[in-house]
Amino acid sequence: MNDHMQNEGQPNPGHSRQSYIPLARWLQEVLAIPTPPSPPERTSLLETGGHPIEGYHPQFYSQIPDFVAALLKDDAQATLRYAPLFYHLIGCSTCHTAYLEIYDAMRAALATGGEAQIVAPSSQAMALTPPRMLVYLCQLQINSARAVLRQSRHDHVDRDAWARTLLRQAITISAYIQQSSLRVRALQDLVEVATLALGTGDAEPAAHSYSSVVTPGAGVRKGVKVRRRAEMLDRPMDGEAIDLESGSLEGLLTQDGEMLELRLHDLDESLRGRYLLISIPLGALLEPVRWLGKDPHAIRSQVPVDAQGNLKTPLGTTDLRLTNREDRHMLEAMFKKLDIRPL
Amino acid sequence: MSFSVHDLRYHLPQHYASLYAYLNYRAKRALGALGSDNFELDQVVSHVIEQLTRIGILGTGDTTPPTALDSFTNAQFYAFLNRSIRNKAIDRLRKRHALTNTFTELERTGGEDDEISMLDTQVESLWGSIPYSAPEDAAIEAASQESLRRLLKDCIKGLSAAPRQLRALMQELDELGAGDLVEDIRKEYGSLFDNTSAEPLAHISQHKDHAHKKLRHCLQKSSTNLAVIVALRLSEYEAPIMGAIFSVEVKTLAQENLTEQDVRAGLRHLAAEGLLVWHGEETVEYTSEQRKRLARFYEEGE
Repeated sequence: MNDHMQNEGQPNPGHSRQSYIPLARWLQEVLAIPTPPSPPERTSLLETGGHPIEGYHPQFYSQIPDFVAALLKDDAQATLRYAPLFYHLIGCSTCHTAYLEIYDAMRAALATGGEAQIVAPSSQAMALTPPRMLVYLCQLQINSARAVLRQSRHDHVDRDAWARTLLRQAITISAYIQQSSLRVRALQDLVEVATLALGTGDAEPAAHSYSSVVTPGAGVRKGVKVRRRAEMLDRPMDGEAIDLESGSLEGLLTQDGEMLELRLHDLDESLRGRYLLISIPLGALLEPVRWLGKDPHAIRSQVPVDAQGNLKTPLGTTDLRLTNREDRHMLEAMFKKLDIRPL
Repeated sequence: MSFSVHDLRYHLPQHYASLYAYLNYRAKRALGALGSDNFELDQVVSHVIEQLTRIGILGTGDTTPPTALDSFTNAQFYAFLNRSIRNKAIDRLRKRHALTNTFTELERTGGEDDEISMLDTQVESLWGSIPYSAPEDAAIEAASQESLRRLLKDCIKGLSAAPRQLRALMQELDELGAGDLVEDIRKEYGSLFDNTSAEPLAHISQHKDHAHKKLRHCLQKSSTNLAVIVALRLSEYEAPIMGAIFSVEVKTLAQENLTEQDVRAGLRHLAAEGLLVWHGEETVEYTSEQRKRLARFYEEGE
């Protein structure tokens, strides 16, 4: 079969390479993908910010190593087997450049024969990694998730699991960033992309949409205002609560043993005496919380909002601890958005 | 310390620090004098992290299929990282030299060999030895290799539902000098042109644009090439004959880098083309007449 393929794969011997040039040029024109404008030279890694990755075609990029491996094995069917990628490389300069880099690196890797001695620094802890590299990875994963989702919608292919995994990783990695402003920066597009991934954008508008307030250290924030509000909310010890805000409204996420509790305050007249439906859109991304009713998009409050506009209701149990720094950061990320609606 | 592709795929939070430390260490060495510049180090290290993320390795678990990199030994994977770092470092060194050059060019006497020419040579020879190192080379291959031309013809045939677009495209191909391809298509799919008018075509550029878009989409979707591969396997497989019927199991066709899923996608395409009767069964049955048609589907010019 291979012999046949090799013969069938060859150009017609009656034709010179020259004679195929017009058709080749035409193919290049037809397949050309506009090259994204080169971004200006950044002055720091954090400048990547929330910019989407231009010219990234996930469905093709991820096939490049396999195509290269087939070429390096002199597989006569390589171009046919990977024909969609091959045609794509003709017109996409970003992916073609990646192909060249990956080919060269894989060729060098395979030439080692698998026996080379590894010279590497000793084992590293996350705490020794520069925070900018953690921020960079979080932003990269969120932007990659966005690209994966956009391409999936375009191709009508389900790659949501891939995108959700990238977002989960971003949240997990961000928990190791100690500086609050960098943590905010690391996850600045999380809610937007997660809404695409989790398909929660079509729900009816929320009565109020809260977001967690990222604290600089365990429980220390905003001084006087917080202390005043804390008194009103029967606030637990510093470090045992996450502040929530929705415009001028405030709330708290607290913990009693394994149970996470939501406390809201000053809710408007129209909600008083009513049960609420609570939605935590990012709750479906992470597994550590066992949500009441199992669906983080539809948690029913256990009691109605009282006559003063206060609500205290359990949300679910978890092994995460608000008193543990990384756990707390992860919960802050998960509660970047919390919507309430009257039932 | 050592980490594997498996570690990065399944346990990224535990191994990211080690990956960074390793890349940073290699980047410092590769950048030489520039290795003390944190900005340059970040440029090199972040490039490789971005590449691993784009390939779908970093933290993706089972949500992306394993790649050829997943089967690397640790030593091979480290060699892959080393080379990636080295290439990006050369790129950064070239950029730095180019910048310096801009300012110092007028003061130079010329003729001396310097680091940049060394770097240029190194990178050019590097890419130059790679197949399809320029997109033009790949385009020539696509235009000349018979199996790839087969795909192109199949996609052009797919335009038959929009006769004006098909006509506009054939006219364009004829004008650019790809007469042999046009001739082949006319010979093979002559019936497609029976109803086309000889009248000049109005709004031809609009029809061409639509045709290009459809062609671009068709060439980059996977079922067409899978159909060609499966047709080839079916037409050549020495299938046991029961009466006048050839019979082959799907899993038998799924060999040599083709998964069962790929084979099924190819079979669906062939069934849609009317070349087979197959509704997802585990076994494909076909007559000798269908076998001949499958061979014609693959072989050019028949």
